[in-house]
Amino acid sequence: MRLTIIKKDNNRLIYLYDLLRALVLRDLKLRYRRSILGVLWTLLNPLAQLVVLNLVFHLILPLNIPNYTLFLFTGLLAWNWFQASLYVGAGSIVDNRELIHRPGFPTAVLPIVTVLSNFIHFLLALPILILFMLLAKIQISSAFLVLPVVFAVQFIFSLGLIYFLAAFQVTFRDTQYLLGILLFLGFYLTPVFYDSSAIPARMQLLYRLNPMVTLIDSYRAIFIHARSPEWLPLLLIGLIVIVFLRFTFSIFQSASYRFVEEL
Amino acid sequence: MTEDAILVEGLSKRFYRYHGARPWTFQELFLRGASWYRKRYEFWALRDISFRLAPGRTAGVIGRNGAGKSTLLRLVGGVGKADRGRIEIRGRIGALIDLGAGFHPDLSGRENVFINGVISGLTHKEVAKNFDSIVAFAELEEFIDSPLRIYSTGMQMRLAFAIAVHIQPAILLIDEILAVGDYAFQNKCLERIAQFKAQGCTILLVSHNTNLVSRFCDEVLWLEAGELKAHGEAEQVVGQYLAEMGARTRARTPDVSGVQTTPTGVELRLNENRFGSLEVEIEAVNFYNTRGEPTRELESGEGVVIEIAYIAPQPIAAPIFGVTITRPDGLVCWDSSTQPDLLPTSRLQGKGKVILHLERLDLVEGQYYIDVGIYQHDWEYSYDYHWHVYPLKIHSHESQKGILSPPHRWEFKDKDY
Repeated sequence: MRLTIIKKDNNRLIYLYDLLRALVLRDLKLRYRRSILGVLWTLLNPLAQLVVLNLVFHLILPLNIPNYTLFLFTGLLAWNWFQASLYVGAGSIVDNRELIHRPGFPTAVLPIVTVLSNFIHFLLALPILILFMLLAKIQISSAFLVLPVVFAVQFIFSLGLIYFLAAFQVTFRDTQYLLGILLFLGFYLTPVFYDSSAIPARMQLLYRLNPMVTLIDSYRAIFIHARSPEWLPLLLIGLIVIVFLRFTFSIFQSASYRFVEEL
Repeated sequence: MTEDAILVEGLSKRFYRYHGARPWTFQELFLRGASWYRKRYEFWALRDISFRLAPGRTAGVIGRNGAGKSTLLRLVGGVGKADRGRIEIRGRIGALIDLGAGFHPDLSGRENVFINGVISGLTHKEVAKNFDSIVAFAELEEFIDSPLRIYSTGMQMRLAFAIAVHIQPAILLIDEILAVGDYAFQNKCLERIAQFKAQGCTILLVSHNTNLVSRFCDEVLWLEAGELKAHGEAEQVVGQYLAEMGARTRARTPDVSGVQTTPTGVELRLNENRFGSLEVEIEAVNFYNTRGEPTRELESGEGVVIEIAYIAPQPIAAPIFGVTITRPDGLVCWDSSTQPDLLPTSRLQGKGKVILHLERLDLVEGQYYIDVGIYQHDWEYSYDYHWHVYPLKIHSHESQKGILSPPHRWEFKDKDY
C-alpha cells in the first residue's frame, strides 16, 4: 500500500522537537511527582551502587586503581544510562498503546524519548562527578569538548539497540526478561568496576566488539586523565553504530505497521 | 492532478484470526512450534473500497457493527497498513478518535493539555496560543491546575474534546463522538463540528446515529461486511440503509400464529401492529395521570407517566427503550429513547419496568397513539415494537388546529405605547 500525505508542512521539525520535549518532560515529571526526595532519587541510586562497589573492590578485593571512586562513578553513570534506556526503551511501544493508535503519531519518537530522558539523568548527576574530580584534584580540561561526541555515540548505539528490541517486544512480551539477563551479563563484560586493560591481550579484540568498552574508556580519558579519548576506536565505533542504527531503524519502520494490530 | 482531499482506491485490509491464542512468549513458541501459524485463518475487514472525497465535503460512514467502519477511518488516518490499494490525503489530519491519549492522572489539567495537544498534532506554540480557549471550551477553568485524577470521566472527556477541536485540520476524522459529556456539551460539540464544516474542512464521520448522519453529511458511505454497499447523497443512502434494517427486523420476526391481546383488548398481530424478534417482549403499557390513577384520557397540559412492563426470558445486552407519540395519520408528534449507557445494568433478564415521566403534554385535542419499542443496543433491529396499539385521548377546552397546545395568553398594549 502507498499512503501519500501531501502537505505543505515546513513546521515538521518544530513539531517533532515540541513532541519530543513534551514527552520527555512528561516522563521526568511522572517519575518524581508525589515522591519526597524527587529528583534526588536519580542521584541516590548510583551513589548507593558506588558505596557498595567501592567497599568491595577497594577494601575487600582491592583492585589498586587510583582515584577508584571517580573511576567507578564514571563507569556507573555511563552504564546506568545505557541499561535504563534499554530496559525502558524495549517496552516503549507496548507501554504506549494509545499513542500508537493515534492517527499521525510518529511511533519512532518513543525510543528516542526513553534515551533522552535517561540521558537527562546522566546530566543531572554530572555535577557530582565533577565534585569527585575536584576532590581528586583533577582539572576540568579542554578534553571536555569531546564529551558531546562520546554522548552522541552512546546515544546512537542505545537507540539502535532499542529500535530492534522494542519491535521485537511487541511480538514477544518476555523480551524484557531476557533483556534483564543479558544486561546482567553485560555489566560484567563492560569495564564498569574494573579497567579494560585487565582483559588479557589475546581477548582484547573480541572484548572490544562491545561498543560500551570503548565508550567507558573514552569517558575515563576525559574525566580522570584529562585528555582526549583515543580517536580511532571512538570514530570507528561511531561509524559502526550509525550503520547499525540505520539498519535497526528500517526493521522498526517496516514492523511498525504491525504494532497497531498486535497491541 | 487530482484535487480530492481524500482518495481511496481498491483498499483492502486483511486480519488473521488464530485458533487458540497465538504465542506471546518464547516459552509458548518453543512448546508449540509453528502449529499456531498453520492454524490461522484470514478474514477481510475491508474489500476493494474505492471512493473520493472533494475538499470541504462531509461524508458519513454507516453500517452494522463489524462492517469495517472504524478500520477504514484508521487506515485513512495512517494507522496500520492496508494489504492492497492506496490512500491519498491532502492536508493536516485532525482526529476525534481515541481522545485523551497520553493523559496521565498524576499530571495537572494544564500539563495534560500541553502534552495531549502536542500529541494531537499541535506545536507547543499553538497549544499556548489556544490554551485559554481550550480551557474555556471544556468549562474547566477552576480545575485546570488540579491533577487529572480528581476529574470525573465526563470532565476528562470534555478536556480531551476541547483540545481536539482546537486543531485546525484540513481533514477531520470522527468516530462516534456523541458519547461525550452531557446533552448541553454534546450540542456544543456538534456546533463546533458544524463550524469546521463551514470553514471548509473535509470531514469523514463514523456513526450509528443515522439522524446525525443525514443532518450533517453531504454524502454517505454504507459499509456492509467490509464492502462498500452504497455511496451517494446522504438522504438517499440513509434511506436505503434504514429500509434494509427494517426489512431485517421483519425477517427476524418469528412466525408465531398465536395472536396476543393486550389488557385493553387490542389484538397484537405480528408484522401488522407488532414488529420484532421477540427476544424481549413488551408485556403491558400503562398510562397514569399526575394523581397516580390509571388513565387513557388526559387534559391537554396535564402530566403523564408511561410505564412499560417487559419480560426478557434470555439475558439481553442493554437494549434501547423508545416511546413515540403519533397521530392516527402517522404524524410523529414526539419521540424519545433511552441511551443504553444510562441503564443501571448492562444486561436485562427477567421481568422489569421502564417508566417515562412526562411533566406536561401540551398537545391539541384529539386521538393519539403511544408507540412503544425495545431495540437492540445499536439500533440494528427491534426486539418488540407495538405500533398504534395504545390509544391516548387528549381533551382541551379550546378546539385548535395544529399539533402543539402550549400554555399561552394574549396581551394587548395601547397603541401609544
